[in-house]
Parts: sequence; structure tokens; C-alpha cells
Amino acid sequence: MTGNTKRKLSILNLMGQTNKGNEFDVIIVGGGITGAGTARDCALRGLNVLLIERHDIATGATGRNHGLLHSGARYAVKDSESAEECIKENTILRKIASNCVEDTQGLFITLPEDADSGYGLDYQKTFIEACIKAGINAEAIDPKDAIRMEPSVNPRLIGAVKVPDGSVDPFRLCAANITDAKLHGAKVLVYTEVTEFIKENDTILGVKVRDSKTGETAEYRAPVTVNAAGIWGHNIAEMAGVHVGMYPAKGALLVFGHRVNNVVINRCRKSADGDILVPGDTVCVIGTTSTKVPFEECDNMYVTRDEVELLLREGCALAPSLATTRILRAYAGVRPLVASDDDPTGRSISRGIVCLDHETRDGLKGFITITGGKLMTYRLMSEIATDAVCKKLNIAKKCQTATTPIIGSETGEARKDTLEKTIKKIWSLPTIGQKAAAGRFGTRAADIPYESEEDRRVICECEQVTLGEIKYAVKTNAITSLEDLRRRTRIGMGTCQGTFCIYKAAAALAEALGTPEKADIIAKDYLNERWKGMTSVGWGDTLREMEFMQRVYKRGIPDSYKNIPDPTKK
Amino acid sequence: MNFDVIIIGGGLAGMKAADILISKGRKVAVITEGHSIHNVSYKDFQNAGGTLLMGDSVASADVKDGKVLSITTANISDIPFTADNFILATGKYFGGGIKADMNHIWEPLFGCDIESDEDRNTWFDWDFDKKQRFLDFGVKVDDKGRVLSKGTPFENLYACGEILAGLSGVDEDADKKIEASAERVADIIADNTSDNTSNNTSDNTSDNTNNNTTK
Repeated sequence: MTGNTKRKLSILNLMGQTNKGNEFDVIIVGGGITGAGTARDCALRGLNVLLIERHDIATGATGRNHGLLHSGARYAVKDSESAEECIKENTILRKIASNCVEDTQGLFITLPEDADSGYGLDYQKTFIEACIKAGINAEAIDPKDAIRMEPSVNPRLIGAVKVPDGSVDPFRLCAANITDAKLHGAKVLVYTEVTEFIKENDTILGVKVRDSKTGETAEYRAPVTVNAAGIWGHNIAEMAGVHVGMYPAKGALLVFGHRVNNVVINRCRKSADGDILVPGDTVCVIGTTSTKVPFEECDNMYVTRDEVELLLREGCALAPSLATTRILRAYAGVRPLVASDDDPTGRSISRGIVCLDHETRDGLKGFITITGGKLMTYRLMSEIATDAVCKKLNIAKKCQTATTPIIGSETGEARKDTLEKTIKKIWSLPTIGQKAAAGRFGTRAADIPYESEEDRRVICECEQVTLGEIKYAVKTNAITSLEDLRRRTRIGMGTCQGTFCIYKAAAALAEALGTPEKADIIAKDYLNERWKGMTSVGWGDTLREMEFMQRVYKRGIPDSYKNIPDPTKK
Repeated sequence: MNFDVIIIGGGLAGMKAADILISKGRKVAVITEGHSIHNVSYKDFQNAGGTLLMGDSVASADVKDGKVLSITTANISDIPFTADNFILATGKYFGGGIKADMNHIWEPLFGCDIESDEDRNTWFDWDFDKKQRFLDFGVKVDDKGRVLSKGTPFENLYACGEILAGLSGVDEDADKKIEASAERVADIIADNTSDNTSNNTSDNTSDNTNNNTTK
């Protein structure tokens, strides 16, 4: 097959125009990182894959975490198994998902008050030993060197350990896995809800689904169905007739208006609330908390005032300048932990991977649940789940995901195809928008249209998203809202939280979708979503932004702001 | 330097009040943090007799027994500005007229009383389109338009525009309300004080002749 034909086929795949009928080898329920990774792994092993997601990709815990590329150090003392998994996956992700990972390095700091509570320099010694035992390259450094390495770190520190932490963009990672799966023939249905399992005696034969936009129903059949629905997997399992005792552990986080730190800062003590500060993209994120929440609340997470206060207080212990840094918004996700004891916080529950073959466990054939784990170990979880699928299907193909780069992250030989085009189209030009897109789409950025002046127009200035990028995202993904678009492009995630771009972005998206009359409703939905995240932190400059946002969308842009020359126009 | 009225804030409210007071022959100074004043060019404003401190802000205020005696600005810190009356037209949160942190809400220049709600859960509605209560918070004034501090009105400090409780710039008819609040305050001040310029003989509406006012 020539390169050209391959590319054309690929685009058809991305646009979902390949018709597969209703029979598959495997059905995966859940479009978070675990489902996406499993879909990719299965597709790479030649299986005919269908992935079903109730909302959009990365809407659950995948899109609501720190975006931390754990070194594993955090788990080294208490949970060496998790620590070993982390450092292995850390090393793998740096290679196969280089476009989604930033090598920031990390620090574990000891403060004087930690010494008072039994986590002083003696503990630091234990910590380093445990890290080294798990294969994590942890090294004690002089507090003065730590300040040189990361000037925002609390200057009161009495000890510092350097570890190979990093940051990972979970939206980018999930989208890249989905795209890669699609390029390898997987069919992906978003906004499609599983309403019922097709079950015969003790065997799951497939699923009945409903398109949540149109209400249309359909049936899909496969010999194996994988439950990869995160915390919602609890209900999926119940629907299939088996019980997985899940433990919904809410974690709240705060996003700050810029990168206060460039190195991940952790506390060198027993894991507690708000003790990790991660720089990611243009912002930094402090988190998390850990509280059990009822299943009913998982669909509508909010952050309480107590959580904000706690995160801010603990964050300031890591980097004191957070006290005077604007908080952009607050958000929360739910970890899909599997209950094993009665700990009310969920902190002591293992973050380990749980893969259940319901045939051996419950006598239900054709059904697997993959859960527990964390973003960091999604690839390993996917490998374990895919191994289980292959075993059921009697297929003896080996996993390739530990060595094959994900689409967008190809390097060396594999990148030569696109490099010339990318240089001509992106790296030769001074525009930030195109370079930002290259960050987001990696080697795929060369496919983004920039030929016309219109396509080069910047729509979201904070995150530098161009009209061309919006058009490309709409063409290659099933996007229906600005929320969906945000997960692919970061549109509206910057310092203005959409104040200056939602109206433009809504018009551009509505146009690209061929429904210009829907611009208003598209704008309103996204405004509400951005607004909700700001209400938990409505003070200081965020409150100023909120008043301005209200003003702009209820009365229009004030005249005094209209005469500012557009720097993007010559 | 001495003025009849010092207006803090050069937005719609501040400039409306300034316009009226100048037209009634008062010596007026406007201090504005921004780099433009509402709807007027600074030349026109100065030609009309106004004094403008552009890109400047109040640095300190001398208040005694409920009366504002003088202020200094960030740019001119060595010479206090005195006036018979002061008008606070600094807007709400965006303008910096009201500040809030995690636990408090306050008026930063004179510590005026703020009408608000301690329970932050009532400040916002999750539906962007619905009424947002935080936009109704603001300073309290008495029936003569004077700002309250600990329940007692300042003798010579007035407020107009969005800094007022109950006046939200987001409302559709906000501009009208803002102008009305400025007119009211300007009229009260004009009525309470005598015209001390020599050449103002009548209610001349386009009074650009009071050249005494330029220092």
C-alpha cells in the first residue's frame, strides 16, 4: 500500500466513514484513558473493535486529575508494587507518548513541621531507600540546590529529593489513543449510552445502545465485552448482573492562572491532601483531596469551600507564592477504586490494577472489568485487559504498546514522512498558533489547514487556537460542543476562561458543524460549564473576571475594549 | 491643591458627575486608574476646566471625625489634595471599587460599609444566565447619597455608579441607572455648596468659560 492510499484510508477511518456492521470481536464500554488504551491495544493486535462512550472522551476521571507523570516515588514506602508499575510506565510513556509528556522532573520536600510530625530527615532516608528498591532514581539534594532548581519552592525546606516526575496531558493522551485506535480500524461511538446487555443464559453477547443526541437505538454484538467505565463501571457491572464493590473517591483540584513552578513539587511524607503541585501546559494544578462520595454524585462533581481552603493552605506550604496567584477554577474527579476494607477516606485502598474475568469470578461469560489503577498505569491496564480479551478469543498476539509510539508521537524514521511538511507548515513560520497546535497534535499537526488567512486566524488567544485547528478537530473527531472541542484543543481553558473567545469559538464551531443557527446554544452551554468551575473560587481577580464575563455576555463587549487594535492583524 | 469636588473614578458615573459639576461652575478633579476617561477626550475635559489625573490612583486618605480632609495619589504623593466633597465612582470588582478575598469583602479606599452576604454559596448561580447576587453587592449610602461607614454617613463622601449596592452594570438599563445615580449625587453636592467661581452668573448649560479653575 502506498503512503498516499494509506493516508486517505486513515482520514476515512478518522471521519468514521468505514462501515463495519454490527458484529465485532470486542466491545469496550468507556471512553476514558483505560477504554481508549484498551481499544488501541486490541486494534493493534488486529481485533475488530467497537468503543462506546456515554459522553465525550476523557469526561470522567481521565480529564479531572493532576496530569502528573508519577515517578512512583509517592507510593514507594507504602505500596512498592504501585511504585514499580509507575516507574516502568513512566519510562515507557516518555518514549511512546513523547508528544503528551513533559519532562519537568520532581522534588519531594521536607518542611520543619514535617519533622515535628515524624516525617523528618530520617523518613527521607527511608523514602529514598524505598524509591531505589522500586527502581526509581531518587537522589537527595541540598535544599539550596532545590531552590535553584525550582525557585518557587518553599524556602523553609530542610530537605529535598529529586525524582523523575513529569507532567502528562491527559486529554491529549486519551485523544491520541482514540485516534490511533481508529486509524487501526476501531469504531468509536461517543454520546452513545449502553442501555442493556444482550445476555443469553450465562453469556454476554453484546450491548443495546441509545444515541443520546438523537435517541436512536442499536444493537452490537461481540464475543467479549470490556467494562472500562471508571467509577461508572460499578453500574455497568450491575447492569450485566455482577457486582464489583467500587469505592468512589472524590479528588478536588485547583488550577492557577500561570505556571508558578516548572518542577513538580511533592511533600516527602505520608500521602495527604493537597501535597502535589504539578505544572502543566500554561497553568499549574494543586491537588488533591480524597473523600468518599455517593454514586449519585459522580455525575455532578463540585468543589466545596472547605476543599478550596485546604488545597490553598497545603499548596502554599509547597510554593508560598500560590497565596497571591490567581486561581482560575476548581474541579474534581472520582477515582474508580475497588473497595477492600472500610477505610472512610480511600487513601489506604490500593491504587493497584484490578482486572476481573467475570467468567471465573461470577460464572458470567464474555465479560471483563478493568478498573482501579491510575492514569499513569493506563497502558499496563490496557495490556492486561487486552491479554484477557485475547485469551478468551484464543488469539496469541503479543502486546506492542510498550514499544510502538502513539500517533502524533512518532520519532526518528517513522517521523520522516511528515517532518518536511511540518517544517514547511509550522516550524518555518513565526505564528504561535501553529506551534501551539503542533504541541497538541504532534506529528499530525501538518494536516491542519493553514493555507488561507482565515484558517490562520486565532480564535482563542490564551491557548492560541486557530480556526484551522478547530476545523481539523471537527473533521477528525465526533465533536458536538465547545466542551468536546476543549478536550482536543484546550480552547477556553486559559486565563480568560473563554470570556474573549466563546462567542467567536461558538460561531466557528457552529459553522464547521454546518449548523450556524446553533451558535447561541453552543456558546451558552460552554459559558455555563466554565462559569461553574469559577464559582468555587469567586474572589480576587477571578471575581473581577467573573463580573467582566457577565458583562460581556449579557451586554456585549464594552466600547472601550473595542478599539484595542487586533495584534493578529497586520 | 484644593478643589470643590474630587471624583475618584473616570468611568461613566464619575465623568457624568464631573460634567454636571463643572457645568455648574465647580472646580473638579478626576482621578482615574485607567488610560482613558468615559466618552470624552482628555483635552475637551481640560478645556472645560476639569483637572485630570490619568493612570493614577488614591494612595492615602486623611479622614477625621467622619470627614474626608485630603487624599494623596500614587503619582503625587508629597502634596495632599483637599476638597470640600469627594465622590467615590470606582466601580465594582472589575474596576477595583470593591475587593474580595476568600473570607472578606471590602471597599479599599475608605473602608465603607458593604452590603453583601457572608454565605458565599448565595453569591453565584451555576446558571450563567440567571441573576448573580454578587453583582448586587456594593457600598451603602444614606438618603442624601453619602457613604456609610459602620452605619454612620461620612460628612462629605458620596458614591455613584456601579459601586453602589443594588446597581449592577450587567443589567440592561444599567447605563441609565448609573447616569441617574451620578446626576443625583452631583445635584446634591451642587445644592449644598455655593458656587465660588466669580464669572458664573446663570445656569448656562454649556459653561466652558470658567477659566479660573485651571490652577
